[in-house]
Order: sequence, then structure tokens, then C-alpha cells
Amino acid sequence: MGDQIHAVGASIPQLDSHEKVTGTAQYVADLVRPGMLHAAIVQSPHAHARILSYDIKKAMELPGVHAIVTGDDLDESDRMGAFIKDEPAFAKGKVRYVGEIVAAVAADSEALARAAARLIDIEYELLPAALDPMEALKPDAPKVHDDSASYVKVFDAGTEGNVCSRTKLSEGDVAAAWNQCDVIVEGTYETQAQAHLSLEPCGALAEVDAQGRVTLWSANQSVFRVQANVCESLGLPMTRLRCQTPRIGAGFGNKMEAHVQPVLVCLALKAKKTVRLILSREEDFETVRARHPFRIRMKTGATSDGKLLAREVELVLDGGAYGDDSPGVLGYALLMNVGPYNIPNVLAHGRVAYTNKMRFGAFRGFGVPQVTFASEQQIDELAKKLGIDPIALRRINIKGRDDKWFCGQEIASNGLEECLNKVEEASDWRAVRAGGQERARGDVRIGYGVATSAHIGGLLASGAIVRVLEDGSVLLNTGAVDIGQGSNTVLTQMCAEALKLPIEKVAIASPDTDGSPYNWGTTASRVTFMAGRSVVKAAAEVEEKLKQQASAMLECSADDLELRAGGRIGVKGAPGMELPFGAISGRAHWAAGGPIIGSHSWVFDQKTVDPKRAIATGLPFQQIGIFSFTAIVVEVEVDLLTGKVRVPRAWSAVDVGRAINPQLVKGQIEGAFVQGLGFALTEELVWDGGKLANPTLMDYKIPTFVELPDDLNTFIVESNEASGPFGAKSVGEIGMNGVAAAISNGIANAVGFYSPRLPITGERVMESLNQSWQATS
Amino acid sequence: MSVELLINGKAFNVDAGIGDTLLSVLREKLDFKSAKRGCNQGVCGACTVSVDGWPMRGCLSLAVGCAGKDIRTLEGLSATRRMQFLQEAFVNFGAFQCGFCTPGMLVAADALLARELNPSHEDVKVAMSGNLCRCTGYLPIVAAVRNAAERIRKEAARG
Amino acid sequence: MTIEPGLFLQPKSADEALHMLFANEDAKLISGGATLVAMMNAGVSEPTTLISLAAIPEMNGISSETDGTIRIGATTRHRETAGSPLLKGGLFVVRSAASQIANATVRNMGTIGGSISFADPGLDYPPALVAADASVEIASIRGRRRISAREFFTDWYTVALEPGEMVVSVYLPGHWLTGHGFYIKHARVSGDYATVSVALCRQEDGAVSVAVGGCGPKPIANSAANAELTASLDDAAIKRASDILRDQSDPLDDVRGTASYRRSLITGLLRRAVRQAEKSVGSES
Repeated sequence: MGDQIHAVGASIPQLDSHEKVTGTAQYVADLVRPGMLHAAIVQSPHAHARILSYDIKKAMELPGVHAIVTGDDLDESDRMGAFIKDEPAFAKGKVRYVGEIVAAVAADSEALARAAARLIDIEYELLPAALDPMEALKPDAPKVHDDSASYVKVFDAGTEGNVCSRTKLSEGDVAAAWNQCDVIVEGTYETQAQAHLSLEPCGALAEVDAQGRVTLWSANQSVFRVQANVCESLGLPMTRLRCQTPRIGAGFGNKMEAHVQPVLVCLALKAKKTVRLILSREEDFETVRARHPFRIRMKTGATSDGKLLAREVELVLDGGAYGDDSPGVLGYALLMNVGPYNIPNVLAHGRVAYTNKMRFGAFRGFGVPQVTFASEQQIDELAKKLGIDPIALRRINIKGRDDKWFCGQEIASNGLEECLNKVEEASDWRAVRAGGQERARGDVRIGYGVATSAHIGGLLASGAIVRVLEDGSVLLNTGAVDIGQGSNTVLTQMCAEALKLPIEKVAIASPDTDGSPYNWGTTASRVTFMAGRSVVKAAAEVEEKLKQQASAMLECSADDLELRAGGRIGVKGAPGMELPFGAISGRAHWAAGGPIIGSHSWVFDQKTVDPKRAIATGLPFQQIGIFSFTAIVVEVEVDLLTGKVRVPRAWSAVDVGRAINPQLVKGQIEGAFVQGLGFALTEELVWDGGKLANPTLMDYKIPTFVELPDDLNTFIVESNEASGPFGAKSVGEIGMNGVAAAISNGIANAVGFYSPRLPITGERVMESLNQSWQATS
Repeated sequence: MSVELLINGKAFNVDAGIGDTLLSVLREKLDFKSAKRGCNQGVCGACTVSVDGWPMRGCLSLAVGCAGKDIRTLEGLSATRRMQFLQEAFVNFGAFQCGFCTPGMLVAADALLARELNPSHEDVKVAMSGNLCRCTGYLPIVAAVRNAAERIRKEAARG
Repeated sequence: MTIEPGLFLQPKSADEALHMLFANEDAKLISGGATLVAMMNAGVSEPTTLISLAAIPEMNGISSETDGTIRIGATTRHRETAGSPLLKGGLFVVRSAASQIANATVRNMGTIGGSISFADPGLDYPPALVAADASVEIASIRGRRRISAREFFTDWYTVALEPGEMVVSVYLPGHWLTGHGFYIKHARVSGDYATVSVALCRQEDGAVSVAVGGCGPKPIANSAANAELTASLDDAAIKRASDILRDQSDPLDDVRGTASYRRSLITGLLRRAVRQAEKSVGSES
């Protein structure tokens, strides 16, 4: 065996591959327990109403029904919320959106539970509803929360009336800077609510033991957030709840905070039996969460040499009925609005409005796809006005290694220039933009668009525990949920590399609030960087302890020892003198030394705001993460007869720091691209009054195989981040950020107009085409 | 009422009402859980199973209407050589992330290769367009199916 | 899903099915199930009795009749219709429509009878059948009747079926077996219902029949529009024909598009269909 184990950088298949291709992987809907009951929810038919009474008599009398919970089973003072504690476990006292969970039934079968649910009568007193965020922010609008200012908040949110939160960030002197600009572009943009559409609908299974302690399995992105949310909203001590994770059928933010877990635990405790609740697809559309609709007012100015000088942006987010992650999305979107450019004067401010719609929350990109849609179009428009090539203009302004991000955070590794180089070259940008290729083919017009973006990986706390088992193999526990992106595999690769073990000698434990170290969640593109750093440090502690104990066994100094490939500790320069991990660990357990455990935990600690540079009000996070970068070029085809837009070719480059598993990195870039395609062109949740008009897959359309570009090219750029585990940063979300903007810029290149609204449907393109034809005729 | 279903070559007697879909009977009464309930409306494809050699939606098939048909799920198809080639290719090409759509994808791919052993990139996309994936962006799935087809052709050529 | 076991009847002949339908007032017919089972799963339909048409030979399959017409049995799956060599010439429009329904897996299950009985305006068969001058054979215990496809589709989700009646076959006239047929479907993504569609048949002697789908409660067809395109296929004729069709259209606003967008697509899609017809002159479809 060689001296190195190269697990990092290897495209090994996911560790759970076998179960996924044989159909034996167990998702929450596959879990069965003897005597298990099945649950169904009752949803609110009204956008805003007071709950006057519940009549559950007929439902309880149905044979096979075991328990029903309503708002009467909740305590008024118990509320959860990531930033603002404004949300009950399910509706109590009031309903605030159509589809909100108001009651739940546990019965012998799902059919029975649903039949019983239909027999529950609830009396409501209708209240006027605030459906539009701009309307909701007016002083006389109906109040979604009777006294929002009184809620507990974890930061200075400025919550008042229908203002859920407000944030303002500024650098330089924007007001003065406009006068120095030679060109200014200004515009208003609207982006839509996008449904996550994980193939697996939300669900959970709660087991109650004889002591009344609950073990909760659920489709989730964080066992710790489930635990906190359920316990806060039900008034339970956290020791009363153990949260575990089956295989997860994808999460893109929808499973990060609570969905059915609180109501299910409430129901299971009342029934005193194991209960499973799986939402239907329609219920999943209607009750959980979606991407925030944004209303963006943006203004950007530059001087004639192409240097960006000023940016002002105002955001209004539709937050829906509950705060959820909204303050974070607002703050992050404002922080990232400029993109990876040096703009010395920036004023970024915004508000989240409560409305009587489903809550809006975390969704891949976390506000950046929305602001990037506006920002990258404005950069493009400026380039057009200045007569500078769009990529050339970006090059003049992109942040370099020693530049700081907006508000002052240091950047460290930065592969953005290489990303731009790669996509510019691969797409043959100069030739196509110079008109060297065909631009029209029958009724189709062809264009090329570019966008750049950045994203962070980091935020909050992670940890790792590495244990050497008696036989010398290793068990890794990070508490990080693998939602299909492959974190279990990547973290195992890092642990194996750090300890020079073959992958088969390292196992990774399933996340469990009873035994795992705290990991905030699989979100914010953070697991590789945050948990990975802990894995490396915990492994280093294990190496130290192995050496300490081996030094006693080999009667030498620990400084004379080295870690050898294959799980051995040996004396430097003496190839024969070594001990396998098993020998050390066996002795540790049975004779002397003590079982070898390495651990590490930390909170991301790099400050976001430098108070000497920027003024920040109401920013919900103080330390956010390290930056990854991306550049995208797309080729678009616009059908002049229908307005329909196709993307036949695309090039996406991402600076991930280091690809621990290149195949999994590629999977994130490609998957995010196609999800971005849906965001850009076809996906939109539509409301009919307070009710969702298209909560079905018949009416809400995501890209299929056929919509995949003919040619989707990905490029992995490795800038080797010094603070990252093996140089790694992040990749989970960034692949989505620039897609809509690049497509819009491509359409502008093809047919001459930009798109202020998402999605860019055939109809909206036709409208713009007709307007421009009328203007020119 | 009692209905006899032939699943993966074995006969099972199940008690089913007219509203019970093949999908719900497979999952809840017979413990064949590979087929998933993603939408229950026949759009997502996660419930795709093979019926008399053709891929069908388990969620749109009534159990009582499936008596006498040859029903194959991934559990049964895993024993065939063609499916094994597909499974290996899916693993090697990273043709899944969360895996929830994967059983349906494999059944649909298997049905395609049963009839066309040299599908083009376009052929695969069209044949499988009834299966949605939200994680991978489809590209590695197309590559995996074509790779499996190529390996099957090579093995057949070797005789 | 229901909690009652219910009754599942499996007649062996059309007459047996009709008698069962007559005897069970609340019974629903089930063909491929693609539409009905989805409704049952959603709780929109809760039948206690189902009459399956799956085991009735006369209702299944595509055949060439002695008088030259092509007969498609009501329980024929879309897959078979999409691949039938009997649907050639102008009748290729029906093959083309069938091949664009949903996706391959759903086409293994859905049937023409089940599909047209549901009459969602976004469906693909209705404009194709109207363009091809199809007629629908309807049976009840009182006997059989035939009406034109044009008369069959009466309103939103409504067809000319009385209680106790069912579709037994669809007949396509033999005079369309020469020439060319096209079905152009504009949808948001592959597999979606049509936002707007155009079905066109053109005979070798130049006779044209056109129908527009997705633009109203039923397919839009007009003999004056057909006459324009029969006389000429130039841009002016296409504009006149599409103006006539647009005047007759009555689309709704929905998630696939507004009424005005749909109306605006008629000319472009009609032109696309006509250009394809021109290209195919002299070639076999």
C-alpha cells in the first residue's frame, strides 16, 4: 500500500448508491412501525379569519379514528421562528393563509384519516386579507399579526404592523455619486414565487415511548432545527424530543425549517401512539413554503471608462404569513446585491411584508437569484450604453484578491477571473458577440448572455466527532443531513484522507440529536466547509491521541511518530516499527489510555460588516461565510412566433475552492442550472385571490428532460481556500444565481429588450416583441 | 374485494377497494416500496412500474384492474442483466442525488432499452420525459442510459 | 382514496357494459384510467361502482373499414394511435396529436375514448379530430348513433353524451388518407397541455381543413377559413383564415396564458402548419 490515500479529489459514487439504485433506500414514507397510525391534516379555506370554534364530534366517532388535535391543544405563548418567534405549531386563534394547517387526525389508515378530516367543522369569522406586499405595507392595511411588535426577535428587526423586518446597508455616499456618473440605468423588477418541488413531499413519523419521550423521523435538512422548532412551538423541553433522519428525497430550503413536524408530534403525544403523516403533493404546494417574490427597484451608475460608481437598491419581499427565514433572505440579498464588483457607493435597503399567503422561506440562492436578475441586467445595460463588451465591462470592475466585499468582509480566495475566462473561451464569446455566428434562423433569433455571481458558504455552528472503534475503524458523526447532495460521502472522503484510511474503514453516523454534535443545517451551501473543517480538526485530534497512546506502547516520544497510510502509527525512519489503529484502540478500551475520540465545533467567525466602512441596520447575521464565485454564459433562442425561449447551450464555471468529489460538484452545478432554467422561464406560483391557482404538477411546470440544453458545460475552478478543508469552499446554491440574468441578457442580445419580470414566459416575450415592433413601425 | 396480483413473477392475494391504486397496494399492503408517491396524479413518474412489459403509472392504475397482468417493480427487475447494467451505469455516472426519482427512472430506462438498444441523446430525452428529476438536471441520467445501452450491445456482440 | 370497497365490473362486450351503465346510476366508466384515477386520487371523484371497458375487444384497436374509413376503438391507447401506419396522409394529424399527449408512459395508459369524453380544452385529440372531419360513435342501450366531432365537443369539459351513453369508436374519413396532416402544439414545457394548438389536413388536390385548440370551450373550425386556405397558402390567405378563426375564438386566462396571448398565437402557428404542409407536398408523411 502506498503512503498516500487520495480520497479527496476522487469522484467516488455516493456511499448510499446501492440502496438508491435498488429501490431499498428508506425515505420517511417508507418507514413502518407496528401499530402505526396514519395522519391527515385539515387546511384553512380562508386567507385571514378568526377561528371561532371546532366541532370534531362526528370525526371522532368515525371507527378507526384515534385522536384529533386543534389549536385548542396549543398554548398561546408557544411560538417558533428562525428570527422572529411569530409562528405557532399550527394555526391557533387565527388562520393567516389559505392552506394553513388548522387540525390533524390520527386514524388506522390514511383514507380514514382523510375521511375524518373532512368531517371536522370549523367556524370562522372572516377578516379582510392583505394579499399584496405593497398594499400590506400601507398603514391602513389589515394586520396579519395583531401585535407583531411584541414578538421575541433574535435581532433588531424593526417588526411593526405588517413590516416583518427591515434592513439597511450603506457604503460611501450614493447621493453625491450620481452626479459623477456618465451613465445611469434605473429599473423596477419583479420576481415570482417558485415552488421547491422536491420529488419527495414533506412528511414525518413520530414514535412516543413509554416515558412520553418522542423520537421523530422526518424529511428535513436539519435535525437540530426540527428539534428546536417542535419544542419551542409545543412548549416541550428539548430533552423530550429526539430527531432522526431517514433518506431525504431532496430539499432546496423547503425542509430546513418546520413543516408538519410540530402538528405531528402534538398529535402523536395526544394519541400516545406512533403516527405517520405524509403530505399529498397539493398539500405540499399549499402549506409549506416557497421562494420569496421580490419587488426590486434598482439604479446603477458608471463613468464613461466603464467603472461602476454607484448602486442603489430597494427591496420589498413578500414574506407571507410568518417570518420564517425572511429576515435572513432580505439581509443576505441586500449584502449580495452588488454582485462581485467594486462599487464604492452603495445604498441597499428593504423590507419584508407580512401577507396572508403561505410563508416564503429559504430556497437555493436565498435571495441572490432574485437580486442578481436585476443587477446583472443593469450591468449589461450599462455596457450597452457605454459601447463596451459585457464581459469586458465586468472585467474592469470585478473584485480581486485584496478587495473586500460590500460592507467590508475580506475575500480570500477568488477564482472569478478564471471562471470568466473559461466561459468566455468555451462559448467563443468574442466571435459570437462580434456577429461572427448566425444570429437568425427562420423565425428564431439567437443571442448570448453572461452573468456573474457569488455566494457564501458558512454561517452559524457545526462540529464533528471522530471515534476510533475497538477494531481500529473510524466512526464519523457531524449531525449534517445528507439531502442527496452527497455530504455523507464528501465528509467521509475528508475524514479518510485526513487519517490516511481507505474509505471502507470510515463510517458516517446518521444525524441524531441524541448523539450528533450540533450542525445548524444543510443550507447556506455550508456543509463541506463548516462540517468539513470540523472533520479535519477532529481527525487531527484523533491523530494526536493515537500518537500519544502509541508512544506509550512503543516507548518513544510522540514527536518521533508519524501517521501512515492504511491506519497505522509508526516510528519515523523505522518502517517496521508501527502499530495498527486496532492495536492502539483495543488497548485504549481494555487496558489503558481511554477510547480515542476527537472533536471540534465552531461558529463561523469572520465579521460581515466593518463599521469603519459601512453602516448596517437590522442585519440579522454578523458573520456570514466565505465567498465562492461563478460566471455563466448562455446561448438563447427566441421564437418570434410564440415568444418561447430555449437555451440550447450553456457554460457554467464555479470557483469551489477545491472539489472534494468532482462528480458531486458537477451534479450541483448542473442541477442548479436546470432549476434556474425553471425559475427563469416557466415556473410561477399563481394566486387567485388568496388561494393558489396552480398547486398541482399539471399546472406548475418544472423543466423535463426535453428542456435540458443540448449542450450544458460545467467548469470547476479551484482557487484553494486556505481556511477551507483541503481548500474547499462551497457549491450547493451558486449554480442557480446567475441563470435567469444570463438568459435575460441573452434575450436582450437576440431581440433587443430586457425582461423586468420573471418568469420570462413566451407571453411576456411576445408582449415585449409587440411593443418593440410597434415602436419601430 | 380480493384480487390476485402477479408481482415480479409471484402471485399475491390482496384485499383492495376500487379506489386503491396499484401504487398504494404495492407500498402499503405488499411491502414493495421502491415505487414512490411523488404526486399521485401521474405527472412526476416516481411511481413508474412495468405492466405487461410497458412502463405505466402505478398511481393511475387501479389494483382491481391489474389482475392477470405481469407487474414488475425495481425489486424484481433488479435480478435482470439489463437492469444491472443500468444500475451500474447510474452509479458510475452519478445519475441520481436524492434517489427519490431513481426507481421510476430505472424502470422507464429499462423499458426503453428493451425496445431500442442504440438510443440517441434525443431518443433518451423523449422516451424518459415523463420522469421528473429536480436534483440532477437530467444530464448524467441520459449519459448513464446510453452507456448502459452501449455495454449491453457490446456484451451481446461478444455472444 | 375511499374507504368503501366499491364494485368493479368487467363486462366482456359493449352491450353488457351499456346494460351495467343503465342499471347503476352512479357508476363511472373507466377506460385507461389516466384521467379518472387522477380525479379519484385527488378526491374530486368518488365513484362507488366502476365499469371497466378494458376487456371489450370491439372497443379496442385501429382498423380499416370496407368503406375506406379508419376506425379507432375507444379504448385504444395513445401509444397505438401514435404509431399506427393506418393513420396516413391527412390522418397523420391524429397520429401527430396522439404522439404529443403528455409523455410515453402516460401514452401507454390513456385512451382516445377516455380522453375525448373528458374534453379538457387543452387536450390534443379534439382539434385533430375536428380538422380530420372525424365522427364519434356513441352507444347506449337504446342503440348507436354517430355525430361529427364538431358536434361532439359542446362546451368547457362538456361533450354530447347523455346519461347512459358511452363512446364506442372514432371514425376518420378515408378521403383524408392522401395528402398531409400536421398537429402543431405550443406548450410551456414538454408534456404540458397545449396553450394553443393547430391541426391541419391538406389533401393532394389542395383541400384544407384546419382546427384550433386551446382557444375556447371547443376546437375552432370554420368553413370560410378552410376555403381561404384551400384557395391559397400565401401569407395573405393565412392572415384572412386566422382572422376568421380568431373572431370565433373565446379563450380564457389561465396559468398557461391569457386569452389575448392565445389569440395572438393563432396566425403564427397556422403559418407554421401551412409551411410544413408546403414542404411535404410530394413527400409521404
